[in-house]
Amino acid sequence: MANSIISVGSEFPYFKKKAVVSLEKGNEFYDITSNDHREAGKWMVLFWWPKDFTFVCPTEIAAFNNRVDDFSDRDAILIGASTDSEFVHLAWRKDHEDLRNLRFPMLADTSKSLAEELGILEAEEKVAYRATYIVDPQGIIRWVCVNDLSVGRNVDEVIRVLDALQTDELCPCNWKKGDATLAV
Amino acid sequence: MYPFATTSNTKESLYKEVNLPESFESTLVDKLSAVDHRYLKDLKINIGNVLKYQNLTKKEILFIALGTAINEKNAALIAAFEELARAEGATDAEIAEVIGCVSLMNANNVFYRFRHFVKKDYYETTPAGIKMSIMMNPVLGKEFFELLSLAISALNGCELCVTAHEQSVLSHGGTQAKVYDAVRIAAIIKSFAVIL
Repeated sequence: MANSIISVGSEFPYFKKKAVVSLEKGNEFYDITSNDHREAGKWMVLFWWPKDFTFVCPTEIAAFNNRVDDFSDRDAILIGASTDSEFVHLAWRKDHEDLRNLRFPMLADTSKSLAEELGILEAEEKVAYRATYIVDPQGIIRWVCVNDLSVGRNVDEVIRVLDALQTDELCPCNWKKGDATLAV
Repeated sequence: MYPFATTSNTKESLYKEVNLPESFESTLVDKLSAVDHRYLKDLKINIGNVLKYQNLTKKEILFIALGTAINEKNAALIAAFEELARAEGATDAEIAEVIGCVSLMNANNVFYRFRHFVKKDYYETTPAGIKMSIMMNPVLGKEFFELLSLAISALNGCELCVTAHEQSVLSHGGTQAKVYDAVRIAAIIKSFAVIL
């Protein structure tokens, strides 16, 4: 099967998915849509892992969680996702010490429709590759990185890319001869 | 319920980033913090980024930051960066040399800037008579000593010193990438010092 990954410059597909946002009874779930970050005028960083209750994943998820403030400082909302259901997410969060205090939603793409549309579904097992998306406040994909199932990610690199995408050289000092006049 | 994390206290995490005590008081930072001004976040991101630059060692980064704090006469930042530098293995001799270098550059930056401004034969040819023996065999190594001299000269705005030390860094094996990092560290740390 040939994967066709939706990539830089494309609009991120619309989605509405259940997500685990808390361990508190009655407040566990929230419907996240692709409009949430757009309406808030924020960036969206969405990272996928293949399966809950596996070994590499919690380390990586905890690494993202440690940097939640760094994402929020950069006006980005962070979302983690897999093709597991919201109930599996919740059970895993309750079960694993590193995951109890997560400060970002765990999105449940139970129908696999979003992963499939993004082109990040592994053919054999129908689970998501370790894909990471940075989407700008207008809903346009600005960066995508897809790791094979066994390869973990470097959160520093995600933040470095986000910084690079956001560093608008607004200062008139950066004008070069011949540049169009800067309209601020 | 809004499920996405928001940064609770930018000021607190900013101070933590540079090793300032939580109780540190700054009227100007407090004014930014009171309205949760977005500049405070930008500043925190800028500082966090320069302290993680890859072309210099952690200790070198902290020496440039320490030199900047000394140049800007900020006692709290001096103490904070000195402690961080020591944690990276900085010795008494190295820290003393950073102090000496910053002080010497303050003499040179004023003097050579004057020479550069006026450009008259008498001033150009009469010896300056400024003793600079510490430039000879620095414990920091010649390349880094020159890099620090460059960063301080950039802060103090002496064109002659900046061009001369930039050339000198390169001639001792330094790269333009190192020069770029050093100047950006000095610029960002100064932007913080000025509101402390």
